[in-house]
Amino acid sequence: MAKTVLIADDTAFMRMTLRNVIEKNGYQVVGEAADGEEAIALYRELQPDLVTMDITMPKMDGITAIKEIMRIDPQAKIIVCSAMGQKPMVIEALSAGAKDFLVKPFDAERVVESLRKIGA
Amino acid sequence: MTEVFVNMGEISSAKNHGILTTVGLGSCIGVTLYDHKVKVGVMGHIFLPRSRSNDQGAPPGKYADTGIPAMIQEALRLGASKSRLQAKLAGGANLFPNLSLNTISIGQQNIQAVTELLTQHGIPIVGQDVAGNHGRKMRFFVDNGVVTVTAIGKEPVQI
Amino acid sequence: MNEQKLDFLRELAVIGTGHATIALSQMLQGRMFKLVVPDAQMLPFTEAADYMGGLEQVVVGIFVVISGDVRGYMACLHPLDTARLLVRLLTGQETEEIDELGRSALQELGNIMVTSFLNALSKMTNLLMMPSVPGLAIDMAGAVWESILAGAEVTNEVTVIRTKFSAEGEEIEGHIIFLPDEDDFRKIARQFGLENLG
Repeated sequence: MAKTVLIADDTAFMRMTLRNVIEKNGYQVVGEAADGEEAIALYRELQPDLVTMDITMPKMDGITAIKEIMRIDPQAKIIVCSAMGQKPMVIEALSAGAKDFLVKPFDAERVVESLRKIGA
Repeated sequence: MTEVFVNMGEISSAKNHGILTTVGLGSCIGVTLYDHKVKVGVMGHIFLPRSRSNDQGAPPGKYADTGIPAMIQEALRLGASKSRLQAKLAGGANLFPNLSLNTISIGQQNIQAVTELLTQHGIPIVGQDVAGNHGRKMRFFVDNGVVTVTAIGKEPVQI
Repeated sequence: MNEQKLDFLRELAVIGTGHATIALSQMLQGRMFKLVVPDAQMLPFTEAADYMGGLEQVVVGIFVVISGDVRGYMACLHPLDTARLLVRLLTGQETEEIDELGRSALQELGNIMVTSFLNALSKMTNLLMMPSVPGLAIDMAGAVWESILAGAEVTNEVTVIRTKFSAEGEEIEGHIIFLPDEDDFRKIARQFGLENLG
């Protein structure tokens, strides 16, 4: 059975791009969130195996969403996918509980590599 | 027919004939004043509502509080009568609505400032196409006072 | 603004846009981009829109607010032709009108370029520079430009960094505008060993 993934990013283009890469590599995308609040709500509802999380989003940013999801499920497997690659941000995301941090733009291989490593 | 382009912060005028045009009104306000009897027209392209202390050398037309009085003076200089002046407005849009940089957008602030000043001077606003999220071009025909406003993807309107 | 300040801004321009174009290249599946020397100019703001190709030219503009150790604003503008080409390269779609997906692609591209620029400066200065969710407008250059200036509360001169990149014979034109707060700009300069700049 394929592992399930929830994608959180504020641009439809990035959600579509990630979906294509992820599904092509044997995973099932079960939900898409456009902001941190939606990410939390969908996590509760869908309980995906993995999450890709953007940081800069309207309504609620990714770091806040990560903290809340980790509170709901300390076993949550969240991979950050963000253009914002400055060190304090990376540290904050990993401290909040993210398992990996991919800086955009990244290759498709890099995403898949991370999913396999974290999802294992 | 001579067409004069009025850039951000400028004020231009014409009498009897000519076209005064301003392109690319975003959050700025394009203002026209017209005296139909003597066919005197003035156009301004105002950037912000209030003048700044750190911008002393600015042309009067850059800010509403210095621009409106300067426009009135220019109209009078060409022989207009203040009691016959009528105004039209275009612009004051918010092109980046999802950014919420201010509680009230600069475009809205400009609309409010210009409207208040014109009211204070007793000049009626007889036409306007303001607000929204798109840029505008304003053309003012001084021979008959007609003002047309165009925007990308929209039908031209006469205000 | 003095020559030293302008020279320093040009230096930042080279660093920042260098990284931004590498990011652009990666987004367009590794199309190699030749970065035509970025040109930084300090212009009275009334001339800046003309400098970028005329007030009535339709452009796509991305606008972000920067927060953190350095506060200010950044914008990235492309003429419509370039934008259509970028949409085609990013989504495979070729249309006159840029639709929702196209807008989304342009927003993401702008976001990545601006953030790459700031990431580069941040790494060199150890100063946090966080861009907000971007705003996107497709409209006359004059309208987009003055909305950016009004939003950024710029009243005097503005520095425009103009970059032209070309890939496989296709000209892609981009204008990156970096508008740091005066005091925070001096913070950046100090990190480069330049005291009391401007």
